Amino acid sequence: MFIDLGIVKLATPALLQGLQLTATISAIAIPLGIVIGTIAAYMADANRKALRAVALSYVELVRNIPFLILVYLSFFGLPKLGMHGSAFSIAIGTMAFYTGGYFCEILRAAFRSVPKGQIRAALSLGMSGWKIQRYVVVPQLFGFLIPPTVSLTIMMFKDTAVFSVMSLPELTYQSNLMTADTFAYLEVLGTTALIYWGASVVMETFGHAMEKRVRRWSHR
Amino acid sequence: MIDWFTDHGALKPFFDGVLQGAGVTLYTSSSAFVIGLLLGVVLMVIRVAGGPILRSLVIVYVSAMRGMPLLIQLLIAYYVLPPLLGINISPIAAGILALALNTTAYVSEILRGALSTIPLGQAASARALGMRPWQVWRFVLLPQIFHRAVPPLTNEYTVLLKASSLLSIIAVTELATVARNASLQSDLPLQIFAATAAVYFVMLWCASSVSRRIERHFSGLLPNVH
Repeated sequence: MFIDLGIVKLATPALLQGLQLTATISAIAIPLGIVIGTIAAYMADANRKALRAVALSYVELVRNIPFLILVYLSFFGLPKLGMHGSAFSIAIGTMAFYTGGYFCEILRAAFRSVPKGQIRAALSLGMSGWKIQRYVVVPQLFGFLIPPTVSLTIMMFKDTAVFSVMSLPELTYQSNLMTADTFAYLEVLGTTALIYWGASVVMETFGHAMEKRVRRWSHR
Repeated sequence: MIDWFTDHGALKPFFDGVLQGAGVTLYTSSSAFVIGLLLGVVLMVIRVAGGPILRSLVIVYVSAMRGMPLLIQLLIAYYVLPPLLGINISPIAAGILALALNTTAYVSEILRGALSTIPLGQAASARALGMRPWQVWRFVLLPQIFHRAVPPLTNEYTVLLKASSLLSIIAVTELATVARNASLQSDLPLQIFAATAAVYFVMLWCASSVSRRIERHFSGLLPNVH
């Protein structure tokens, strides 16, 4: 079995173009999901029962439904409800929704890692709720947040491949087009796999570097 | 209510296929998980106790499996591997293979994480008591590793169950395929995919409650391990 480098060379520009869309979707949807997840996490710890119920059922929904089904539901279902949007914006919305559920869980676990006594101590010192978050809780969270957030980011980056079933021209879709054109499965799929792998390794390395920087701030 | 659902003609293809589809989903993810558990133990032992070459091979393998989308791995297992090896495999076998190879990497990392919480002195004292290396693994390390790894391992199983929906891409008739075909036939995507989501939800809910029970069972087994 020979690897035809000519086909690799031919396919690479289209694949890199796909990577650009993959990266764009991830770069918009994942931070958006982190914002949604943060809101959900504060809702899940709120005093109102209704808020808690909404946040917790959102998390359970995301954790127990495959991403593919959610993608089908939003791409085929939303137009039936009268919500029409471009494939790009539906992709962003779906991915942000999914990321948010997972990030909510990550953040809630991090909240639990800050001892309750510290918050009570801050309250008894007369700090306001916002000040407690700003000076006591949030600075301590980062050390706990970074490792799981990096793996969540890589997970969602890889999950963008699912959008290829909706003909969104991201990396996997471009790769499918190329294999349909050339039938060179080994070369095209191999190159695609290497591109994804490389991107994941870069993100992981970046995450480790960030982790090291943040560790300076923790006393333990 | 149930009559309305079953008699409602447009949804018939979905109700006809849903049980079988759920069965295929359970079958593929469970067999991949069993294979992944076995291979994961092997990879973890090599990663910890193997020579430098074998060890770096495992590191590269784990990084590759965790760095590529499962979808790409499925396509490779279905389109690239059979001609490369000169064999013919069914879509379902290719799907199980890809799922298993993928989960092996995650399982080996989970087990390695569990191993790192066991004091080093235990293996050393077992050796000092005259145990052979395989006996140290069999009687001292592996039982404790599995005990500690039950929660993340069961979590990995639910991840696998969800991920098996991607097998629909390589034409395995599991739950997601049944749903997509029924949706194309009936043009009722909202109802069908919502019902599919509900079926997955129930399956995953059951899986995680079983896992909680296993956890409780295990926590009574090894009282000295904490």
